[in-house]
Amino acid sequence: MSQDCNDEWELYKENVQPLRQGRVMATLQEALAQQEASTHTALQLKKQEFESEIRFYSGDDPLDVWDRYIKWTEQTFPQGGKESNLAAILERAVKTFYEQQRYYKDPRFLNLWLKFANCCTEPLDVYSYLHSQEIGTTLALLYITWAEVLEARGSFKKADLILQEGLQRKAEPLDRLQSHHRQFQTRVSRQTLLGLEETPDDKDTDLLEAAEPQRSSLADLKGRGKKKVKAPVSRVGDALKPVSQTRSTQALTSQQPSSNPGFAVFDENSASGPEIPVITPQPWAAPPVPRAKENELSAGPWNSGRRPRSGARSAVEVPYQQPNFTLYVDESAQQQIMTPCKIEPSINHVLSARKPEKEEDPLQRVQNQQQDIQEKKEVVMYCKERVYAGVDEFSFEEIRAEIYRKRARLKAEEEMQAIAQKKEELQRKIGEMEKKLKKIITEWQPLPEQAAALLTGVFTLPLELQRVTPSNTTEVEDKQSQMKSEVQVFEDIQLHKTSSEALSYPPGPETPFAVFDECSTLENQSISCSADHTRGSARHPLAVRKPSESRTAKENVPPEACEELNAVESLTEDAVVTGSYKYKSFCANLEDTCDFVRAAHLASTPFHGVAAQRIPAPLSQSDLKEDSPESISVPLSQVTPVCEALCINKLSPIMEASLEDTHSTGSSVSSGSSLSSVTQTSTIKYLPISEKLELAQSMPADSGGISENITGDVTQFLWSAEQRMKLLDPLPALLAAAPNFHLKTGVLPAMEVKDIELGNETYCVKREYWTSEEYKMVFAVPADSCLLLTKGFVIKVYSQPVPWDFYVTLELQRRLNADFDQNFSENCSCFLYQDGCALLHTGINCFTLGDVIPVHKSLTEEVILLVVHDLLLVVEKLHKAEIVHGDLRPEVFFLGDRVCDPFGSNISKALKIVDFSHSLDLRLQSRVSLPNSFPIAQTPHGQQLLAESSPPYQVDLVGIADIIHLLLFGDHIQVYQENSLWKISQNTSKALDNDFWSKLLGRILNADGKSTVPLLKELREEISDMFDSSYEERLIYSLMSLGQTLLVEDFL
Amino acid sequence: MARRGSREQQGITLRGSAEIVAEFFSYGINSILYQRGIYPPETFTRVQKYGLTLLVTTDPELKNYLNNVVEQMKEWLYKCIVQRLVVVISSIDNNEVLERWQFDIECDKTAKDESAPREKSQKIIQDEIRSVIRQITATVTFLPLLETACAFDLLIYTDKDLAVPEKWEESGPQFIANSEEVRLRSFTTTIHKVNSMVAYKKDSFP
Repeated sequence: MSQDCNDEWELYKENVQPLRQGRVMATLQEALAQQEASTHTALQLKKQEFESEIRFYSGDDPLDVWDRYIKWTEQTFPQGGKESNLAAILERAVKTFYEQQRYYKDPRFLNLWLKFANCCTEPLDVYSYLHSQEIGTTLALLYITWAEVLEARGSFKKADLILQEGLQRKAEPLDRLQSHHRQFQTRVSRQTLLGLEETPDDKDTDLLEAAEPQRSSLADLKGRGKKKVKAPVSRVGDALKPVSQTRSTQALTSQQPSSNPGFAVFDENSASGPEIPVITPQPWAAPPVPRAKENELSAGPWNSGRRPRSGARSAVEVPYQQPNFTLYVDESAQQQIMTPCKIEPSINHVLSARKPEKEEDPLQRVQNQQQDIQEKKEVVMYCKERVYAGVDEFSFEEIRAEIYRKRARLKAEEEMQAIAQKKEELQRKIGEMEKKLKKIITEWQPLPEQAAALLTGVFTLPLELQRVTPSNTTEVEDKQSQMKSEVQVFEDIQLHKTSSEALSYPPGPETPFAVFDECSTLENQSISCSADHTRGSARHPLAVRKPSESRTAKENVPPEACEELNAVESLTEDAVVTGSYKYKSFCANLEDTCDFVRAAHLASTPFHGVAAQRIPAPLSQSDLKEDSPESISVPLSQVTPVCEALCINKLSPIMEASLEDTHSTGSSVSSGSSLSSVTQTSTIKYLPISEKLELAQSMPADSGGISENITGDVTQFLWSAEQRMKLLDPLPALLAAAPNFHLKTGVLPAMEVKDIELGNETYCVKREYWTSEEYKMVFAVPADSCLLLTKGFVIKVYSQPVPWDFYVTLELQRRLNADFDQNFSENCSCFLYQDGCALLHTGINCFTLGDVIPVHKSLTEEVILLVVHDLLLVVEKLHKAEIVHGDLRPEVFFLGDRVCDPFGSNISKALKIVDFSHSLDLRLQSRVSLPNSFPIAQTPHGQQLLAESSPPYQVDLVGIADIIHLLLFGDHIQVYQENSLWKISQNTSKALDNDFWSKLLGRILNADGKSTVPLLKELREEISDMFDSSYEERLIYSLMSLGQTLLVEDFL
Repeated sequence: MARRGSREQQGITLRGSAEIVAEFFSYGINSILYQRGIYPPETFTRVQKYGLTLLVTTDPELKNYLNNVVEQMKEWLYKCIVQRLVVVISSIDNNEVLERWQFDIECDKTAKDESAPREKSQKIIQDEIRSVIRQITATVTFLPLLETACAFDLLIYTDKDLAVPEKWEESGPQFIANSEEVRLRSFTTTIHKVNSMVAYKKDSFP
């Protein structure tokens, strides 16, 4: 019979619920076809998708998801029923949004409610609830639907009233409402006319009955319409019988009352209508209860129902005490009470036998919840809203999986983007490089074209572009061989160089090999610099040829070219840089004993002891000098310098030892610089130059300095372990006598992942501030109280047995006397071990100023003033004690009690400084004038601001300026010089007092040569002048909010 | 022998076919008008046809109008120059076309020259027509509710060379912009084949 499956819908037509907006045939067919299939996987998946979208929706219109979900459900489950769960979805949606006022005028929300009303036994209740709550009262649809339902029940007058109300309210779209009203009126009048004219046939029974108000109410008239029972002739009586008696008993609930006014419609002409009922908004506290539930007990007689008395149900029974919502009572309810047949249903909604089942009724529970919320405040300690957001319950695992998937997706996207970007950049750079290289080569030496091509080939090879090296022409052959020989020589150096030969291996045939000529390094500073460079870059195993070539030609190459080279080079070593060093296999490079040394480092504890006991040999000195510039090239690749050093100096035990030394010295600098300019590539670019300068200056400066006892030349870093050890050797009495100084015989306790043992206490590490090769700064709390405290211990572990920080702290205490207060670590213990030392600072707040920088936008003027004031104070004190901190960064300042505990005493300070890794004691190291060797000198602003001749104090001023700038704007300071005055290039856009700040910064920046202590004092007093009477109050307020921000940030 | 004896006069002629199809249109249009609530339901009365209870209008004007159309159709069907009948339901307020019932007619023009009647049992044709009418009734399962008052319009597609009769006018096809189309069943008298289809405005459903 059926030609194709397209007729499926017809077979199920009785089972498809009509929809107001119609159905999509394709979906309908699919749904009907799937019905037979045993699995609904696709449906389940889609449903799951909606459910999770509800939970993880991040846009600003959550109703949209629900709207789509409901529409989809309607279309996909044409039969409705339990499977579709539509009623539950609607209920949940209504519940979710019924407190969101913003949706009250949204037609989608109204639609939701109207659909929900259809699921209820008593839609009229819902409509009047909507009306009272002003939900959708501006929309014509509410009035139309309402009137339609009333009309269907025969309450024409009420329906008219509703439409009138809508017209009065100018509900949108008004024309539709008007036309509907018009049609309604014509319908009513026509039906009335028909009813008057025609003999009653069963279709119009209702109307006819309505038209004859005289009919008496008799029991046997019931069901008259359907059963074709003719009414008795005599219908005279005084009681009016409602028309709609013929309808199903379920609908009876409100039909009886509502049909009464229906009669009045027809009386209207004769009986004047002065008392036209007006719809009064009924005070509904909560949405009406959906009552069209399947498998529910209907209301039974009262005598059989028992009143629930058990205490277990108290949650439900709470509302017994005067429900805070008024009951919906029909106007005609009083009359109806007299009717003996039925009990007024609207009353026993609350008291009916259904009561005990309310626990299953979610909406009822909402009603109760509302009351509960006011009474007891429960705090849900899990993501309840996510578990129960949709209709289905999600397990935590599902939620977690969803979050994970989301993150993974995001990450993948980001990665893809990054890769694309990188690729592009790489391509561009390769292009540039090729061009430049060609240019360089043609400029430097009129090489044949092919040679240039060859060079390009050699150097792009490491980039894995598989460029074919061209040219077998005889003309180029000698060039080629020459180059090969160069490479060969280079390898030779690696292979055959012994410790003794290190200084005197034969120079290569080409200029690049001058690099390795130690003598020239010593003799000629400028040459050695470029030479060092060349070598530094030449040593990377992959990029052997390229850098040496290009470097040699560096003199006539613009500086960008060098940068380009550096950049490309670092890219080639990407794997080394990004890959975890720890997992590098040992035999990756046979020449490379670095890994081995490091492993030995880890495996054998006495190793450090060797380093400490080692007698500095002249050889190692020169080696040190030779290597230090290299290790400065760390930013190029964090790992390579050490390896390089080893590559060159392998095989000799002495060399290895000296190498160890080199390694530590070098990395102390590199870590410092990398800390001061966290991964800023711009900084990296400056590095070689500054180091060059430093090298040039350190020679004469140090040779006459404190390190005189060290023979030979003295390319010493001011804060190298050796030098400090010298300074503190023998331990000053001050140190040894300090009560908190503990000299331990053992080795430094291993820093476990979480716990560290110091003295007799075990501390649980909560946070790591920074880690470098040599030291590590962590926040810890005593292990036995593993609570999340914001105040605890700060432990600094230093891998050299030099208690420098402790020394500085003690010196400060001695020199400052009373001024040594909360700005410093008042309670500091030092544990000196054989191979390192650990400092334990007590009572430090977990947060540093560095934590504040990311939230600088939320900082108020008060807080900044306070912080800057203390910043100036701290530095003033340091300088007064003739200590230069040398490495002022936001991270070194711990927030004091003043900030973290705003309600504490006023004398507490806002900042605390405990770290003195880069500090100089100018009383001890008096002849130092090397601002360029400080970490801050590696930053762009540091380079600009610090001249060679600047006094060391200047370094700290630059640090102050940078911190203030960070606090104000969140980024590092940028300066330019104008009329020999330094100015900050950042637009001081901060509204308040920007004039003040720019003036302040200007004074700090242009303090050239002036004594710092008076200046800082002056500035500080200026700031404290700004603290007026209400300042304290505002400060406390803003500090509280800052504290919250920090805590939130911390937990995130 | 038996086949020949009782069924022979049941053969389908061109005129008979035109009659059947025109009659189908009459009842079909009435059904649509009733089903879609274009006219108030109380203006319809029930009749038995095709083994179904169908509703036909009692409104004299409408009756008259439909009769005219059906008569005209009959004539054109007989001439085999009609291609399509379309019932367009549009909103009175803004003239927007909401539904479009389309009956494509395939005429077997060779029947014009033939004198011998085609052989197809009238009962089978009636069964086919019944299933089409049933489907029209069943479309409420997917058709959207007509929210506004609607009017209907009849379009008849004929061969090009036909002169427009009096009281008829030419018109556009009145398509629905964004429509969902559902094919209904078809029936054939062997001379005329009628394919039915309904198109309705698609909701903004995703």
